[in-house]
Amino acid sequence: MRLKDPVGNAAFHTLPWIVGCLFIAGVVHIGSIFAMPRLAPQDAFARISTLAQPHKVVLLPATTPESGAPFDDPALAQGVCRYDLSQGPVRLRATLPPDALMLISFHARHGQIFYSMTDRSATHGKLDVLLVTRQQLDAVEANDPEDELPQDLRIIAPTQEGFLLFRALAEYPGELADARDRIQSLSCGLDKDAKP
Amino acid sequence: MLHTLKMLVIAVAGLWLGLAGTYYAVERGEDGGVGTSFLFGAVKAGPWTGWPKSGTRDADPYARALYARNGETPLGITEGLSFLARADSSGAPLNPACDYVLSGAIPPARFWTLSAATPHGKPLPTSSNRNGFTSSELLRSADGGFEIQISASARPGNWLQVNGGQPFLLMLRLYDTALSANAYSVVAQAMPSIVKEHCR
Repeated sequence: MRLKDPVGNAAFHTLPWIVGCLFIAGVVHIGSIFAMPRLAPQDAFARISTLAQPHKVVLLPATTPESGAPFDDPALAQGVCRYDLSQGPVRLRATLPPDALMLISFHARHGQIFYSMTDRSATHGKLDVLLVTRQQLDAVEANDPEDELPQDLRIIAPTQEGFLLFRALAEYPGELADARDRIQSLSCGLDKDAKP
Repeated sequence: MLHTLKMLVIAVAGLWLGLAGTYYAVERGEDGGVGTSFLFGAVKAGPWTGWPKSGTRDADPYARALYARNGETPLGITEGLSFLARADSSGAPLNPACDYVLSGAIPPARFWTLSAATPHGKPLPTSSNRNGFTSSELLRSADGGFEIQISASARPGNWLQVNGGQPFLLMLRLYDTALSANAYSVVAQAMPSIVKEHCR
């Protein structure tokens, strides 16, 4: 049985189809946007995984018209330290020269930046950061002496894998090599004190 | 039978439309990034646009999708803020055949850099291999003000070289700045203006 067409034109028949089509389009669009960080084959983590082994500081190629990620600043030297917390907590230690800009950001596996700091976060030029999972933090805290505060900054990573990104500013074009040296002087790797 | 066929056509059309929308949102277009203009949380100040939230835990889904697609690593909020200009202060798109003067105030930051990039965000290829400027290099006038000449041919003073034949955009990055993600209202007066001089 067919419904009576009160208007007597094609719109009455096609409208529900158009609405259905737009509904499907909306669901597909929103679904694919949310899935993109997990599915994109060329995200920052994938790019860095091909360049760097975990648990060591690795310099990234200079930002030139031919190399580097889009929208990077050519005045910055860049380095990374990949982490895989399934092997244990990761410690970052640094002695930073005063008034030389160093940017440090903590990236989760699927692109989220969960912490960031600059060299001004260092106390007396020293930086001591422990990157842990929630369970590892409990274990570390259980071993803390009761009468003193921990001397390191402890950060919980939302994913087991990810990377730290270091960016050092070359204030003048000739200082890019110095900026790269400042990144290479950072120490980043599995925490030797921690029990697995 | 006809009904099933119709349904199939609708499903395929919906799928295609949805994916086309996603492609349009994350793929930077030839004109320099259709994608970014769709992101939520954009802060506009004169010719400049910034996305302070993209470097936080609250980055919106479009920003995350775009960065994942392009392999970009935005600045974390404590590190700084970056702003992008594709047009001059009058709203006209930046024309590689024209000279521009950038002047005025720059929001307080420990360091800042200004650079010219291709519409896809790569450093602009130039004959001098220079495509940026840092706050340390800047020459200021006696009254503390400054002007940066943006031109394909050499200029005295602060000169940012561009490539006469190639479209470009400008990026201003404020490192270690007092402007935080919460300071959303970057007033246009606090950002430098970009004024067109003569064209060739």
